[in-house]
Amino acid sequence: MAYRAVVIACLWFVSACGSSGGGNGSAGPQPPNVLTVTVGGSSVCRIVNQLCTQVTICQPGTSTCQTISDILVDTGSIGVRIFGSVLSIPLQQEVESPGHPIGECVSFIDGSALWGSVQLADVVLAGEPAVTVPIHVIAPTFAGQSPSQNPCNSVVDSDPRTAGFNGILGIGLFTHDCGISCEINDNNNLYFSCVASTCGSIAAPLPTQVQNPVWLLPSDNNGVILTLPNVPAMGAPVLSGSVILGIGTASNNSPPPGISTFTTDQNGFLTTIYNGTTFAQSIIDTGSNGYFFPDSTLPLCPMPDQDFYCPSAAADLSAAIFGVNAGRATVPFQVANTANLLQTGNAVFNNLGGPSSSFDWGLPFFLGRVVFVGIEGQLSTLGTGPLYAF
Amino acid sequence: MGTWVQTMLVIMLIHLTAGTPVWAVLGQAKASVEKDRAAMGGQVQSKLAPGYSVETITVVGMTIKEYVSLDGTVFAVTWKGTGVPNLRLLFDAYFDEYLDALTELQNKKPRLRRPLMLKTENLVIERSGHARNMWGRAFIPSHLPAMVSPKDIQ
Repeated sequence: MAYRAVVIACLWFVSACGSSGGGNGSAGPQPPNVLTVTVGGSSVCRIVNQLCTQVTICQPGTSTCQTISDILVDTGSIGVRIFGSVLSIPLQQEVESPGHPIGECVSFIDGSALWGSVQLADVVLAGEPAVTVPIHVIAPTFAGQSPSQNPCNSVVDSDPRTAGFNGILGIGLFTHDCGISCEINDNNNLYFSCVASTCGSIAAPLPTQVQNPVWLLPSDNNGVILTLPNVPAMGAPVLSGSVILGIGTASNNSPPPGISTFTTDQNGFLTTIYNGTTFAQSIIDTGSNGYFFPDSTLPLCPMPDQDFYCPSAAADLSAAIFGVNAGRATVPFQVANTANLLQTGNAVFNNLGGPSSSFDWGLPFFLGRVVFVGIEGQLSTLGTGPLYAF
Repeated sequence: MGTWVQTMLVIMLIHLTAGTPVWAVLGQAKASVEKDRAAMGGQVQSKLAPGYSVETITVVGMTIKEYVSLDGTVFAVTWKGTGVPNLRLLFDAYFDEYLDALTELQNKKPRLRRPLMLKTENLVIERSGHARNMWGRAFIPSHLPAMVSPKDIQ
């Protein structure tokens, strides 16, 4: 696909053209495969430890484009999702063969859900060529639905303010957000065909599914690298780092010697052993705002933060991560008093933690690290994904 | 086993002739498992454990386990798959309680994104995983048979 200037029809509606600190490589000295990512300093992307960036969406095959800021960078999900309320350019609605519009309901591990239509868009990441890909246009009222009455059977996020983002850039381990099972099973509860205001679950062929835009890039398509600096013990008000597209495809994305590779199981899970307990379905996820794991010796915070740990002094902890290959590492980490951390008003912390029945290595894991995410079936010098390396 | 299958078929026929599928489940009788299976077009396998049985419904991309006590009550469900099953149908009478607690949690400031852990008046709900592979469980602590620990519900 021909390279397209990143912002031609620039719209003030969402973000300024060439805004300072923007991640679009065409304007600055950044290489074309580097996306600037930030935590803090935004009125939309305002959740602590919430990593965000900007992407450019274009009407397919045209130079009518819009750059949208406050996009959550999420290695725990797949595909581009944008609130329809911030989109001001027309995209192309995906339809089932009889011409019925296709909708999607996607759920997240925090219990939240997003409803909207599936539309074809050109997506521009940093200074890369545009890729044409189905994206999720989030709209709680799509096909006559509402925030409380919709196929998600949940209360869906109704707007960017509620959600804390204008959209999501899902750049996790997979190419498609559902994969083969949604192609086979028409009762998948993810993809829906809507006739008037009646929506029923349908099988969705792979090309129709919402996809990780990275795997569609002409070259830097085998994964991404997250490079984030560390922060002091009491956190920082803002943080700026990079998502580099591609692994070993350019001069700036070669894995360093001695890096450890962790191939995941086919479901994208690693094994974490903590305090003698094995968690076979553990995840590494920029979209999670802390370390979440069970430890009955860590006191919970007083109300209303009782879902977090509040040790009187920061606890030095350690867990071991295992891939399905020989990859293994002992990872030291720290959990501090969440109430004290939040009182600082800072936006990014490397020691925020809370209880969970599983082991979730959230954003703090990425601070001060270089983490490679290899996409399923894609070959790099690290091997064939799905894999992590750090 | 043959008799059991026949019984299930009879239940399924009754269910089919009854019209709208009523999934069921938490807190309901074991027969509700079959309604779920039929609604999902899946296969069900039964496994005995001390003090309860586990009915596993398998469809493409999703496995649901329903835990049934000896008195025939479903006291827990787990799911694992590419998405999330229809929890309104799976939680049935407890769904509104779940949704109210979830909404309250999501309205909290600051709202953080993390694996869900929710305790309502009658229910414990946990969810985790990531895109393509999510899992969760819900159980009714007061209905847990003696000898059964939440750790047994996986």
